[in-house]
Amino acid sequence: MDVEFKIKRFDGEKSYWQTFNIPVKKGMTVLEGLYYIKENLDGSLAFRASCRMAICGSCAVKINGKPRLACETQILEIGNKLEIEPLDNFRVIKDLVTDFEGFFAKHESVKPYLIRKDDNYEEPVELIQSPKELYAYYDFTLCVKCGICYSVCPAAATRDDYLGPAAITAAYRFNADSRDEGEKTRLALVCGDNGVWRCHFAAECSEVCPKQIDPAKAVQKMRFKAAIEAIKSIFR
Amino acid sequence: MWQRWFTVKGRSLFSIAFSLHRLTGIVLTIYLCMHLAYLTSIRMGKEVFESFIATTVTPQFLIFDILLILAGVYHGVNGLRLIIHEFGLAYESRKSILYISVAIALIVWLIASYRMYVFVMGV
Amino acid sequence: MMANEVNKINKMNKEEMHTKRVLEPLAWLFQLISGLILTVLVTFHFYETHFVSHEAMEYELVVSRLSSLGHKIMYALLLFFVVFHAFNGVRAILLDTNFGAKYPQVVNSLCFLAFLIAFGYGSLLILAF
Repeated sequence: MDVEFKIKRFDGEKSYWQTFNIPVKKGMTVLEGLYYIKENLDGSLAFRASCRMAICGSCAVKINGKPRLACETQILEIGNKLEIEPLDNFRVIKDLVTDFEGFFAKHESVKPYLIRKDDNYEEPVELIQSPKELYAYYDFTLCVKCGICYSVCPAAATRDDYLGPAAITAAYRFNADSRDEGEKTRLALVCGDNGVWRCHFAAECSEVCPKQIDPAKAVQKMRFKAAIEAIKSIFR
Repeated sequence: MWQRWFTVKGRSLFSIAFSLHRLTGIVLTIYLCMHLAYLTSIRMGKEVFESFIATTVTPQFLIFDILLILAGVYHGVNGLRLIIHEFGLAYESRKSILYISVAIALIVWLIASYRMYVFVMGV
Repeated sequence: MMANEVNKINKMNKEEMHTKRVLEPLAWLFQLISGLILTVLVTFHFYETHFVSHEAMEYELVVSRLSSLGHKIMYALLLFFVVFHAFNGVRAILLDTNFGAKYPQVVNSLCFLAFLIAFGYGSLLILAF
């Protein structure tokens, strides 16, 4: 069966739509379709992909208006006409490849690692955690940093320095970790006017997340804590 | 670009609820300024106020009244929904809460619009 | 080294970032609280002027409402919360943009000024009777 791939391309100067017809078998993914085009029809097509199994988060693209991971989306589930575009809210570099530098810098800026006062790399000790403590944050560790949540966020659409759902969720993941001691540091980092206050609960991030992580929930929890912390600081 | 606040294509109902919340918020802010300016007529005496009422409380203006009520009721009910979630409650049932709040908004809007119709027409 | 880093940031937050950290949380919290209060006050305001009787908007009745103390207090609260909610909302919208990111102080001051002007202008009516 032939399926029409209409791809929004960008060559550095102008953007245009190009249509390819590719033979599709049952079970074939959008990513396989893109590889088919690159190998057989147009070698200049640029897209980002790596693991082909939804754990690297590289291949997020917009398919028929909805952002998804190309590697876990089956072509025939979508239909026989596909419109593929790069993610919104990111600068396009070429074709489907977008600039993730800012996205990763924001992720890094919230200190997404365990902060402990007794860090000792010469004589490391095991940190004990109960299953209950693990499940307090486990869901949020599943994030693959694909940028899909960021691409649909209305606040990120108009403000370039907004931390975005992914970064705030990462901050929440470590704040909810019983081994971590950096809660106040991270609350201060997300408490600026480019932080949690820009979220207005459009909740689209939770709707599109390919890992069903619910970033909107993490942002609301983070904001509530940040507000309480800030109000307490008045009386200190 | 601010147009992206109102993206509808490919988005879920939550994004549309957000777009409408922002849109109605702006409309209501503009209305608030108009309302405050309008009320100046009370300070200018009975004749001025009554001539204002005679031009605005009319069947021609009823459609604006009803649209304004829709904006106000939607903003209020959707705002209550947002407050529930922003205070950290019931994320898991957010879909049903959205449906319920839209239903409540429609019911309140219909009742209020009917009363507005009765009020303007003086039936 | 990590401990030092934590202490340094905690110290910085206590001193330099104090006001910056308090404005946004308070504005957010008060936006929710004023929203809650407004659903009650606006509903009552609409009910009183449109549901009770067709005569509710006659000049004498409007003036008599404006002259009673209870109504004065109600109108003052309504005015305060609605103007705050409106212009804090506008502030949040403007801060969502790159313009707001670049000039947050301009946005904050303009919205505060708009709040003062609208509140002052509205109060003239409450004080007039």
